[in-house]
Amino acid sequence: MSRILELEGVSKRFGGLTAVNEVSLSVEEGQIYSLIGPNGAGKTTLFNLISAVLAPTSGRIVFDGRDITRMPTHALARLGIARTFQNLAVFKHETVVNNLLVGLHTHLGADPISAAFFWGRARREELKARERVEEIIDFLEIEDLRDHVVGTLSYGQQKRVELGRALAIGPRLLLLDEMVSGMNQEEREDIARFILDLKEELGMTVFMVEHDMGIVMDISDHVCVVNHGRKIADGTPAEVAADPAVIEAYLGTKQAA
Amino acid sequence: MRTGHLKTSPGQLVALSDSPAVWAWVGALAVGLILLPYLVGNYMLTLVVSAMAAVIGAVALNMLTGQTGLISLGQSGFLAVGAYANAILLSDYGLPVWLTLPAAGLTATGISLIVGVPSLRLKGLYLAITTLAFSFIISHIILYSEGLTHGPNGIFVKGARLFGYDVQRGWPLYYLALALTAGTILAALNLTRTRIGRAWIAIRDHDIAARAMGIDLVRYKLLAFAVSSFFVGIAGALMSLQLRFVNVDVFGLILSIEALAMIILGGMGSVAGAVLGAIFLSFLPEVLRIGFSLVTDPNSTFYTNYVYEIRGIAYGLVIVVFLRFKPDGLVGMWRDAKKYWSNWPLAY
Repeated sequence: MSRILELEGVSKRFGGLTAVNEVSLSVEEGQIYSLIGPNGAGKTTLFNLISAVLAPTSGRIVFDGRDITRMPTHALARLGIARTFQNLAVFKHETVVNNLLVGLHTHLGADPISAAFFWGRARREELKARERVEEIIDFLEIEDLRDHVVGTLSYGQQKRVELGRALAIGPRLLLLDEMVSGMNQEEREDIARFILDLKEELGMTVFMVEHDMGIVMDISDHVCVVNHGRKIADGTPAEVAADPAVIEAYLGTKQAA
Repeated sequence: MRTGHLKTSPGQLVALSDSPAVWAWVGALAVGLILLPYLVGNYMLTLVVSAMAAVIGAVALNMLTGQTGLISLGQSGFLAVGAYANAILLSDYGLPVWLTLPAAGLTATGISLIVGVPSLRLKGLYLAITTLAFSFIISHIILYSEGLTHGPNGIFVKGARLFGYDVQRGWPLYYLALALTAGTILAALNLTRTRIGRAWIAIRDHDIAARAMGIDLVRYKLLAFAVSSFFVGIAGALMSLQLRFVNVDVFGLILSIEALAMIILGGMGSVAGAVLGAIFLSFLPEVLRIGFSLVTDPNSTFYTNYVYEIRGIAYGLVIVVFLRFKPDGLVGMWRDAKKYWSNWPLAY
């Protein structure tokens, strides 16, 4: 197994506040890696640093041997890094199909003139993209929602579309930000099953920030705990759950694990 | 609900419409438009050509404002650039019209990239003010660079011939306008169903998510400016052909407002909406004129005396009423009507 993502002493300061403080971690290819921590621990900031929405104040972020610390956000998709958002970030006036097609953006390349005529390359690649979208719809079991405008769907369904859109990028590393928050038990289990399928069938690496301890402890290969912007523990779910520092900072009682 | 739309090939999925009824209506409309010069008089034909220039302009503005979400008050500036480029190349340089029309579009595109760059970091109201300033700058440049634009004297547009016909009047102008309009609408629809149109809409709906999908905001915002202005430039060129005289005064701020009103009225972001809105507002003055002639006595000069005031009030009223009661515009009304009748007599 090779390291697909590495953070070396990454810090982020907003004025006087140090949201992320000297965090180092490494994610192996094909792992499900969870980042947990109490509210305000700096999880989302760390997540935004990895997905290049924010630039770190210091430190280095390496993806697959390539330094991505200063890359613009849009360059990551082409490298094979996809993300979802904590609060819904779907294109809500568009249909499910069109949302998924946007995810395929980096795989298409027709020039504006060919696109305006819808001839040649534009037509060929749109046909292929449309077929690829059907595969994703099939995988996420949202066949009946295909032509619905995303804004009219339920929260759980919109989250699923967002996951589909990230999958359309064809990522090697999938970043999930609190994927199951606000979902009911059945929807949570569906998502957990999808994540396991992605790992086992496609060998995808999944990095997730999650509040739902059930999912984290069930499916993660590796868990990293942060508090006050610092990493306080790192290991398998069982190791982390037994760590006194974690129990003190976050879980409170042993039973909660 | 329309039933029985089983699709058996991906080609059907990416088609503009897979409904035979839609294509039948489009065919009927095409036949009607081709026969129009035989059916109506010259006055009506003139009105239709003006409406077509408005349609091209509105469809183009819709790409920038409706789809990409970049509010532009620079429409009149780009129209002026297109009209002047066409007029200068035709009258002063004697180039053929099949060359001056695309050249007018490309000139507007070139200038839009200069406007687009500072606009990249601005959104909403700030961008609207920047583009407004741009259109004032354009009219000043036109006024003071007399060597090129003849300044306040304006330019007579002459010598536009295509296949031996004078395309500045009558049915040759009409057919040229029809071809340009059809081409613009088709291009806009096609762009909407490719990655470019989807990228624009993604930027409008959620720019951070768009970036995470690999969409380069700088490139696609500039592309929206470039493509939109190309067609606005063509619309300006068409106006110059029809008016046969261009002058700075033709391209006032009111044109930018009208263009925005058209896409709001039609339904923001929709190509069909831009077309409907442009047709509606282009014929509104004519409808008002006929309306006034019915209710006032035939010798009254009330309408002709206050034509600009009445028009201004009517535009304002239409915008306010639509924003309050029908924010989805004419396209939204059409959609609601379709839903109602396809479910009738059941409510759902």
